[in-house]
Amino acid sequence: MPGIQYYDLRHVTGQVTHIDIDNGVVESAGTSFFNKAVIRVLSGTGWGILQIDNYVPCTGKKFDAMLESACGLARITQENVILAEAPHGMLAVPPMKEDPRDVSIEEKSSLLSGIETAARHPLVVNTRANFIEKIEHVRFTDSSENEYGYQMCRSGFNVLAVASRNGNVQMGYEREHSIHGFNLRHQQSQGKKAADIAVALLDAGAAKSGKMRAVLDPELAGVFAHEAIGHASEGDLVKEGNSVLKGKTGQKIGNENLTIIDDPGIYEFGFDPVDAEGVAVSRTEIIKKGVINAFLHNRETLASVGNGVAGHARAMPGESPLVRMSNTFIEAGDATEHEIFEECQNGIFLKGSRGGQVDPGRGIFQFNAEYGYLIEKGECTTMVRDVSLSGEILVTLHGITLCGNNRSMSPGYCGKGGQSVPVSDGAPHVLLNDAVVGGSGVD
Amino acid sequence: MRWWVAVAWIDQLIYEAQKNVDEVEVFFVKGTSVSADLKQKKINLATTSEDCGFGIRTIHKGRIGSSSTNNVSQWRECLNAAIASGNLATPQDWEGLPETVSLSPAPLSFDDSIRIEPPVVIDLIEKMLEGAAEHPAEVAAGSASLSSSTVTLANSKGVRYTSQHTGVSLSLEAVHGHSTGYEFDHSSFFDKVDPVLVGERATFFATESDNGKDIATGEYDILLSPLAYGELLGNVFVPALSGRNVHAGRSRLAQSLGKNVTDPQITMYDDPLLEKANGSVRWDAEGTPTRRVDFIREGILETFAYDLKTAYRFGKKSTASAKRGGFGGLPSIGHHNFVVDGKRNEVADERVVYVHNVVGAHTANPMSGEFSVELSNAFWMEEGEFDVPIRSAMLSGNVFDLHHTISGLSKESRAIGSMILPSVKINKQHIIGK
Repeated sequence: MPGIQYYDLRHVTGQVTHIDIDNGVVESAGTSFFNKAVIRVLSGTGWGILQIDNYVPCTGKKFDAMLESACGLARITQENVILAEAPHGMLAVPPMKEDPRDVSIEEKSSLLSGIETAARHPLVVNTRANFIEKIEHVRFTDSSENEYGYQMCRSGFNVLAVASRNGNVQMGYEREHSIHGFNLRHQQSQGKKAADIAVALLDAGAAKSGKMRAVLDPELAGVFAHEAIGHASEGDLVKEGNSVLKGKTGQKIGNENLTIIDDPGIYEFGFDPVDAEGVAVSRTEIIKKGVINAFLHNRETLASVGNGVAGHARAMPGESPLVRMSNTFIEAGDATEHEIFEECQNGIFLKGSRGGQVDPGRGIFQFNAEYGYLIEKGECTTMVRDVSLSGEILVTLHGITLCGNNRSMSPGYCGKGGQSVPVSDGAPHVLLNDAVVGGSGVD
Repeated sequence: MRWWVAVAWIDQLIYEAQKNVDEVEVFFVKGTSVSADLKQKKINLATTSEDCGFGIRTIHKGRIGSSSTNNVSQWRECLNAAIASGNLATPQDWEGLPETVSLSPAPLSFDDSIRIEPPVVIDLIEKMLEGAAEHPAEVAAGSASLSSSTVTLANSKGVRYTSQHTGVSLSLEAVHGHSTGYEFDHSSFFDKVDPVLVGERATFFATESDNGKDIATGEYDILLSPLAYGELLGNVFVPALSGRNVHAGRSRLAQSLGKNVTDPQITMYDDPLLEKANGSVRWDAEGTPTRRVDFIREGILETFAYDLKTAYRFGKKSTASAKRGGFGGLPSIGHHNFVVDGKRNEVADERVVYVHNVVGAHTANPMSGEFSVELSNAFWMEEGEFDVPIRSAMLSGNVFDLHHTISGLSKESRAIGSMILPSVKINKQHIIGK
């Protein structure tokens, strides 16, 4: 169409199957359906965007009319958006070991019930397990005649155990989510683990706050990478001036042994075969040997900010793509777990994650462990509960002095701009000096 | 065409469903919106959306099934999926969906003066930028949006309710050096939002928070803004008032009915019929006529919130507290306009640590109430005036316990989402300096 420099269409249809079992009661179970599309147009200034529920694919005059509507919106924008050239192409979606669609919902419910039942214990007052399976059929086309289509299935479960004694209420929470297929079989141990943690926390003390040495387990260190570095490296925030990393490429902000990567192309929970604007996905080394190396980009922010690659645009069905993390991790080092605890000597060992948050413009982050242990003379001793970490991005990374040799990844979801997308975070065990630990314990 | 004619398929759906199940309910949402996003001081994108979708709930011999879709023409497939889903659910005591009652047709959260058009959004953006120019901080990003939706609830008991809703949402982020400021506003009514103030407050907090000073670790009297208080209240305290969490063993307040759970000056209630409030509705998400629910009166816990399902299971009455997270979500227990009230006074006469916002409240332990959050836009405040900004510190404590040490509520309240909250002064809270 005349006047249109670029358009793309991302149409996602699919279904979500869920099961919710609460204290042995199947509260709900079933399947819902969705059909959502987003059309984006550039015609000289900024984006004109249409978000459409129940989109019916069309061509000719009908499609042109939609482009014209989007053009009309674009005309009220003021910024001159330029898109960088970027490689196109799509990775294969890995085959699933067992397709969840081949398993009846009755069997799924029975297996989930087994996990939930395994979380029961005399001191556990509530057990709850959820299963979710989301199948997305994605179709992408753009004005440069790029066209992709793929199908992704993500499925997994959460199990919660709540223990209570004399008014003290504590919880244990385990989860497994995967792109590799059905994963409800042989998982009762996860239910038992949730219960064991909840019960053990009844006897745990509140963590004392202050600066100390901390050992972070791979899950929490992964959240650290995500919150402390990942968000601040997102090209849109850098462009807006809302990241403390802006203008600091080449600056050393961490130890030599610290390298932090985001890679949408690896087969973890944040995998995308192609990004949400049709760009081939690739690995970005955000921090390389302690130095700020590159940012995460879409085509717009790459053209505006530079320093990195596009391919990090992600979107919920029917939503406009944003620059997002996918699989974010601290590279493994060469320290053994034993060496890390020995080096720590006295401090705190933090395990698991209750999530985190960052203010990337200010460079302040906060996240919470599920629980921890005091480290005394290199050994884990007393269990502690409700312990969090906070810090400043440009200062804290210097404190990571040892990275273990045992990286593992954990699945989760990340929220930004009202959109939640699947991600994974990971790391080896790391030693963090001068960690600012929050807890309500007192001497 | 009259609205009800346009949704004649719902009658047909209900008719077909009753051949197989005892009861059926349809929740249908259709809406439109327009928005514009700022990147720094320029509009980077403009969006319109056309939203449409419905959820079906079936009940048969106490088994509750559900499904949802965007596609109205596929209602039969969706109905079949809902019925199949019910076959899996554990049966429970069920005393029926609500019957129709005569309710005022006057909408509570609808402003017929709102035009869902791009020029209106641009005007809002320009006013935010005008306010933002009051202080030297730079605008990083912002957004203005207008929305309108029609919600229809129909069930096999004859309920045919529709309600119209409008919304205006504004937000602005600002940066000054290494400090940030964020402000927002939302209302169903155009004249209830103040775009100039949103812009001004965002750049004010970014500017004034720069060059903050450290604070020593210790116990301080603090003043939580409605925003900061809302983060802690909404993530921990409010969920503990849900009847479902109470009966499932997930609420620390479960054994506290009739007991003091806050300072005696505190009252908490849900008032769904408040004029011009964001969450006002005449019927809840499953058609129960709404009414005020007094949770806490002068510190004493009086009741919990119930939807039909939880009420039937545990021998209680619904408090009309059913909410849905969109057309596809099943009803669950929530609130409409959650109000914290009590004796109002001057809360900033004496020197306090003022906390405008917190980072990480969602990581609090919702069972025990323990939390540790990073302070955001915190200041020393004296005689109501912002004094020295505090650079970086954590606040840790227990959301339930701190309600016993509330020493004052500000005279003004503010809507934070569907909560209406004052600033809250709390004595002797633990701050961890850096």
